[in-house]
Amino acid sequence: MSVSPPEPLRPLALSKEGDDRLVIQWNDGHRSVYRWQHLRDHCPCASCREERLQPPDPFRLLQPAELTPLRPVALAPIGHYAYKITWSDGHDTGIYTLEHLRELCQCPECAKPR
Amino acid sequence: MQPHGGPPPKIALPGIKHVVAVASGKGGVGKSTVAVNLALALHQQGRRVGLMDADIYGPSVPIMMGVPAVDPQTTAFPIERYGIQLMSMGFLVRPDQAVIWRGPMVDKYIRQFLMALPWGELDYLVIDLPPGTGDAQLTLTQAAPLSGAVIVTTPQEVSLIDARKGLEMFRQVRVPVLGIVENMSYFIGEDGKRYEIFRHGGGRKLATDAGVPFLGEIPIDARVAECGDTGEPIVRKFPDSAIAKAYLALATTVGQELGKTAPPPELPGLQL
Repeated sequence: MSVSPPEPLRPLALSKEGDDRLVIQWNDGHRSVYRWQHLRDHCPCASCREERLQPPDPFRLLQPAELTPLRPVALAPIGHYAYKITWSDGHDTGIYTLEHLRELCQCPECAKPR
Repeated sequence: MQPHGGPPPKIALPGIKHVVAVASGKGGVGKSTVAVNLALALHQQGRRVGLMDADIYGPSVPIMMGVPAVDPQTTAFPIERYGIQLMSMGFLVRPDQAVIWRGPMVDKYIRQFLMALPWGELDYLVIDLPPGTGDAQLTLTQAAPLSGAVIVTTPQEVSLIDARKGLEMFRQVRVPVLGIVENMSYFIGEDGKRYEIFRHGGGRKLATDAGVPFLGEIPIDARVAECGDTGEPIVRKFPDSAIAKAYLALATTVGQELGKTAPPPELPGLQL
C-alpha cells in the first residue's frame, strides 16, 4: 500500500490587512502576517543581499521614488513556486519563494524567539 | 505604466493537452535523442505531437529530424516533419553561427517559440531542454504550463549526480517529475549477450531514492548515432528494433504517468 506524500506547502489565499500588512492563509492551517516593509527589507534578490552585507552608506542620495511611503504596487505568482513583488520605490527583482515567505512570517507564534 | 516591466506574463497554451519537458542535469546523456524519439513514438501511437527545441545555444532537432536549411524570413513555423510540428533555434541561424546570448534574449526567444507560433491542437508538446538548470529552465518553469518533466540520465554516477540536480530543480519550482529514463542502459551484442558498457541500474536507483517513477531503460544501439546524423530517428527508421520498442514503451509509460499527475493548483493572486 502506498502512502501519498503530504501536500506541499502552498497558500490558499492572500489578502491585505489595513494599509501596511499582507496576510497569507496557508494550506497547513497557518495564518501568516507581514508588514510590507518587513518583506521589502528582506528582499531576496542578489542586489539586496549584497547591500545588506555592507554598512549603510551615509552619502547615498535617495531617489524620488524612495521619498514617498513604501507600498507594494503589484504582487504576482511566478510559476507555481514563488511571488514577485513590485514596490513603489521601483524595486522589483525579488522573487519570494513560498518557503522563504513562510520563514519571514511575523505572526506572534513565528516571531517568538526559538 | 508598470515600473521595470512588471512580472513576466504566464503563457497559456489552451490547444495543447500536455506539455512535457525532457531534461537532464548533464549534457551528452542523449536528451535530444530521447526527446525526438519520444515525440515520434507518441505520434506512432496516434497522438498529435509538437517538438520544441529549447536549446538555443546547441539546437539538435533540425539535424536529427532531417530538416534542411530554411529561409527564416519566408518559412512558416512550426515546420512539419514526419507528422510532428517542430520549432528550433536551428531553423533561424546557420549551423556555423554561434548564438552568443545572455539570459534575457534566451527568455525572449523561448517565450516567442511558445506563444507566437500556431502550434494548433496537440496532445503533446515535447520540449527538448538544454542541459543544466539555468535561464531556459527558469523561463519555462516560471511562465509555461509544464505538465511534467522526464529526466534523462545514463547509468554511471557522474551522470546521476547531475540528474539529481535537475530533479531537485523541478522539485523547487513545483513542476511534477514524471520520472527518470536511463539512456545507454545496455548493449546487446551480435552474440546475443548483454553488455553494460556504462554500468547499469543507476537510473532505477536514483528514481527509487528520489521517490519518482522509473520510466524505463533505453539500450545502446550503434544505429542511433547514424540516424541522428542522417535525420531519420531510429523509431521511424528501424521500428522493429529493440530500441524502437523501448521508446514505444516509454511513450506509453509517459502517457500513463501524465494521467496520474494532477497539475499543481494555481497560486492565488492579490489585487493591490
